[in-house]
Amino acid sequence: MSTTVTPAATLSSASASIASRRSVSIATILKWLVAICVAIVAVFPIWWMFNVVFSHPGVPISINPRLYPTSLSAGLNNILTIFTETDYLRAYYVSVMYTLLTIIGILLFSSMAAFEFAQFQFPGKNLLFGIVMISLMVPKAVTIIPTYLLTVQLGWLNTMQGLVVPGLASAFGLFMLIQFMKSIPAEMIEAARLDGANHFQIYWHVAIPLSKNALITLAILTFMSTWGNYIWPLIVAPSPTMYTVGQVVGLFNAPYSHTTVDIVMTANLLAAVPPLIFFLIFQRQIVEGIAHSGTKG
Amino acid sequence: MSSRTTRSIAHYLMLSPFMLLFAVFFLYPIVSGLFYSFFEWNASQTSHFVGLANYTKVFTSRNFEKATWNLLIYVSITVPLGIFVALSLALLVDSFSGFWAKFFRSAFFIPVVMPLFLAATIWRWIYAPNFGLLNTILGWFGMPSVQFLNDTGTMLYAMIAVDVWVSAGFNMVIILAGLKNVPRHYYEAARLDGASTFQQVVHVTLPSIRPVLFFVITYGLISALQVFDVPWLLTGSSFAEYGGRANALLFPVMDMMGRGFGSVRFGQASAYGFMLTILIVCVTAVMFALRKKFGDA
Amino acid sequence: MSSLQISNAAKAYGAVPILDNINLDIASGEFVVFVGPSGCGKSTLLRMISGLEDITAGEMRLDDRVINHVDPAKRGIAMVFQSYALYPHLTVFENMAFSLTMARAPMAERKEKVERAAEILRLTHLLDRRPAQLSGGQKQRVAIGRAIVRQPKVFLFDEPLSNLDAELRVQMRAELIQLHQRLRATMIYVTHDQVEAMTLADKIVVLNGGRIQQVGRPLDLYDDPDNKFVAGFIGTPTMNFLSARVKDVAADHIVVSGLGGDTAAAGLVIPFAGFDPSIREIQLGIRPEHATIAIDPASAEGLAAKVTLVEELGDLTSVHTVLANGERLVAQNHGRRHSGAIETVVRIAADKALVFDMAGQRLRPAKA
Ligand SMILES: Nc1ncnc2c1ncn2[C@@H]1O[C@H](COP(=O)(O)OP(=O)(O)OP(=O)(O)O)[C@@H](O)[C@H]1O
Ligand SMILES: [Mg+2]
Repeated sequence: MSTTVTPAATLSSASASIASRRSVSIATILKWLVAICVAIVAVFPIWWMFNVVFSHPGVPISINPRLYPTSLSAGLNNILTIFTETDYLRAYYVSVMYTLLTIIGILLFSSMAAFEFAQFQFPGKNLLFGIVMISLMVPKAVTIIPTYLLTVQLGWLNTMQGLVVPGLASAFGLFMLIQFMKSIPAEMIEAARLDGANHFQIYWHVAIPLSKNALITLAILTFMSTWGNYIWPLIVAPSPTMYTVGQVVGLFNAPYSHTTVDIVMTANLLAAVPPLIFFLIFQRQIVEGIAHSGTKG
Repeated sequence: MSSRTTRSIAHYLMLSPFMLLFAVFFLYPIVSGLFYSFFEWNASQTSHFVGLANYTKVFTSRNFEKATWNLLIYVSITVPLGIFVALSLALLVDSFSGFWAKFFRSAFFIPVVMPLFLAATIWRWIYAPNFGLLNTILGWFGMPSVQFLNDTGTMLYAMIAVDVWVSAGFNMVIILAGLKNVPRHYYEAARLDGASTFQQVVHVTLPSIRPVLFFVITYGLISALQVFDVPWLLTGSSFAEYGGRANALLFPVMDMMGRGFGSVRFGQASAYGFMLTILIVCVTAVMFALRKKFGDA
Repeated sequence: MSSLQISNAAKAYGAVPILDNINLDIASGEFVVFVGPSGCGKSTLLRMISGLEDITAGEMRLDDRVINHVDPAKRGIAMVFQSYALYPHLTVFENMAFSLTMARAPMAERKEKVERAAEILRLTHLLDRRPAQLSGGQKQRVAIGRAIVRQPKVFLFDEPLSNLDAELRVQMRAELIQLHQRLRATMIYVTHDQVEAMTLADKIVVLNGGRIQQVGRPLDLYDDPDNKFVAGFIGTPTMNFLSARVKDVAADHIVVSGLGGDTAAAGLVIPFAGFDPSIREIQLGIRPEHATIAIDPASAEGLAAKVTLVEELGDLTSVHTVLANGERLVAQNHGRRHSGAIETVVRIAADKALVFDMAGQRLRPAKA
C-alpha cells in the first residue's frame, strides 16, 4: 500500500466522509421519528383514558375525539359519581388491603426463610431448597383450581385471608432475596453473634437492614403483581362486598352493564393511579428489579 | 442440650412460616389436584373415581381443540413478534444517551406498569365499533367501521396487538440490561473490521446477549401458554360468557376456568391443568435443551 | 485479666483433620501471635477460641472454666475481623454500641462506654459518621473500638491489618502495642506476616499443617528454632540450609564436610557438645547475616559460589549464590557493596550454624 497521499485521494475520502455524515444524520432523524411514534403509541391509550374522564360526556366522539382533556369539572364529577353511586370505594379499600397485607406477608416470610437458606447450613437444607426451587417451574394453571378448592374447604371464600394467604407461598420473592442475602459477608453475622445478638436479632438488626434495597424492589414488584392480579380475586372473592378494583372494572366491561364509557374510564383511571405513582417514584427500582430477575435468574 | 441443636431449632423456626404456607398452599394443592383429576365432581359434591375419563373428555372436546388451535396461532405470532419489538426498542433506547435514553425507556415502559385488566379495558374501548378511537380514525380516511373484537378474522390479531403493547416494555428492560453488559471493545473491534451497524447487531450484539434472549423467550413462552386476563377482558368477562364470538379468543386456561367455575366440573378442570402443565414443562425442557446445544454465551 | 488453656484440642471438617493435638497456655495480659503459612489453620484455631467454630476434641479453659460449649457471646471474648464487619446502616456510635444495644443496656451506659473507647482510639469526632465515610485505618479503629466497648477478657484479631497499605500498617501496629499496654488485656492475634508477629508478640505460636511447631518469645524462635520449618519461617531472607556429612565427632565440636558439594575442602569445625556419633548426614542452617562474601576470593577460605542475583538496599546487600552441587545460599554484606564478581567465595560463621537432622528436627548441643 502506498503511503503518499495524492490530492485526488484526499478529495475523494473527504467527500466520502461528508456523504457518510449526511447518511448518519438521516438515520438520526429516522431514529428520533420512530422513537417518538412508539412513545406516542405506548403512552397514548393512557392519555386517552385520562381525556375521556376529563371531557364532557355529552359531546360525541366525532366532534371531540378526546385527544386532549376539555373539562376539569366533568372529570371531578365523574370521580364523585363513581365514589358515591357505585361500590368503587369499597373495592378500592379491599384492593389496598389485599395488596398491603400481601406485601407485608411476602416480605416477612420470604426474608426469614431467605436468611436461613442464604447464610446457614442445617440438616435438610438442600432438600427443602430443592423443592422450593422446583416450584418456580410449576405453572400457575395447575395450582389455581385445587388452591381455590382448598380455600373453599377452609371457609375462606369472600374473606381477606382467602385473598391474601394462599398468595404468600410464592417462591419468586424467596429466590430473589436468597440471591441478595448470599452477598452479606458471613463475618457481619458472626460479629453480631459475638456481640450477643440472638438468631432473631441478627435477622432483624443485621440481615434486614442490609437487604433494604432488595426488599424495596420485592415490595414494588409484589405491589404491581398483586394490584394487577385479576384471576385470583375473581374466583375467590365473588361476592360484591369483596370485589377488588380489577373485578369492578371487569364488571363494567360485561355486556348489558349499561355503564357509560366515561364512568368505565374513571374507574380505570383511579385503578391506574397507584401503580403510576409508584412508577414515578420508584422507577429505578422497578426497572432494575425486572432487569435483575431477567439477567441473573 | 448443646448449642448446636438449639441453633438448628432456630433455623427451622425461622423457616417454618414460609415452609408451612408453601406446603399447604402449594404442595398440597398439586397433590390434591392430581387426585381430583381422577374423580367426577359436580355441584352436589358427591365424587366418584373415573380413572382417566376426565382427561379423555377434555382431550376430545370441541372447545379443547379450538382453544389449542387458537393458542398455537397466538403463541407462534405473539412470542416472536413481541421479542422482535422488544429487541428493536431496546436497541433504539440504547442508541440514545443521557436524558433521552431515560425518557424513551420510561415512555416505552409505561404500559407494563398498567395492570393487565386496565390495559385490556382501555383497548376494548379503543377497538369499540363506530365510536371507538380506532374506528374514528379509520372514519377520517373514509374507511368503514371494523368490528375488531367481534369479527373472527380480526379478533386474534387485535388481541396480539394489546399483548405486544403490554409486554414489549417488560422485555425491553431486560434486554437493555443485557446490552449494557456487552463490553464496548467488542463493538470497537467490529468497527475496526469494517462492520456496518446492522452487521454489528447481528454478529456482536445478538450473540453477546444470548442468555438474556433465552430468558426472555422462555419466560414469554411460558406466560403466553397461560394467557388469560387479556382475552377474558376483551370478551364477555364472565363465566357465563367468555371466549368471544365463535370462541375465537378461547384459550386453554380460560377453557379450564370455564369448566371449573362455569359448569362446576372441577375434575375436568384439574385434568386440564395437568395437561397444560405437561405441555409447559415440555416446552421449558425443549428450551433448556436448545440452550445447552447452542451453548451459553 | 484472664488466662486461657487449650489442651489436646483438635478440629476436623467431616473426616478431614484441620487441627490436631493443640496444647497452649496463654497467660493473663499476654500478647500472643499465631503465625504460619496460608491454610495452616490459624483462623480456625482463633474461631474455635471464639466459639464460632465447634471444637471436635480436647478442652478449652478460660480462667479455669471449661468453655467448650459456652455460647460465643457469653465467653467474654471479642473479635476484630479482617473485613472489619462494620454495619453500613449504623453510625460509628451505633456500631460500637451494638453489643450494648443487644443487651438492652441503658442509654447513659452506652454513651459512657462508647465515648471512653472512642477517646482511647481518637474516634470521638467520627461518632456520627457511617462506615462508608471512613478511611481504612479509621474503620479498623472502629472495629477495635467495638471490641473494647465489650470489655472482654480476651481480644481476638484475625489479620486485622491486611487490608491496609504498608505505611498505615506500621502505624496501626504501633497503636496496637500502645493499646495492649494501656488495656493490659489478653490479646490473640493471627497473621501470616512474620514482621507483624516479631514486632507485636510477647509470645509467638508457629503453626504449620494443623500442628503447633513451636511456641516462644520472638527472638527465642529466631535464635533457637525447634525445627527447620520454624527456622525457615522466621527471618527474612530465609535461613540457608546446606546438607553436609559428619566427618569427625569430638567432645565439644564436630567436623563436617561436603558443604555445597565441595569434597576437597578440609571441613568446617562446628562447636557442638555431645553429638550422637551414629548420625552421619545432617543439614546446617545458616542465617544470611552469618554468611559473607569474601573480599579477596583468590586467597580466602570458604565455599566457592556463583553469584546469581544481587539485591542492594544501600546499607545492606543480599547476594544470592548457587553452590557447586546446586544448593542455593544467600549471603549478606553489611555496609559494603558487591564488587560485581561472579565467581566468589562465601565465608560462613561456623559457630552460628544450627544443626538439623535429615527429618528437619533441630539437634541441640548438650547443656554444659
Ligand atoms: N468450612 C470448612 N470446611 C472444610 N474445610 C475448611 C473449612 N474452613 C476452612 N477449611 C480448611 O481448613 C484449613 C485451615 O483454614 P484456615 O482458614 O484456618 O487457614 P488460615 O491459616 O487462617 O489461612 P489464611 O492465612 O489463608 O487465612 C484450610 O485448609 C481450609 O481449606
Ligand atoms: Mg485466615
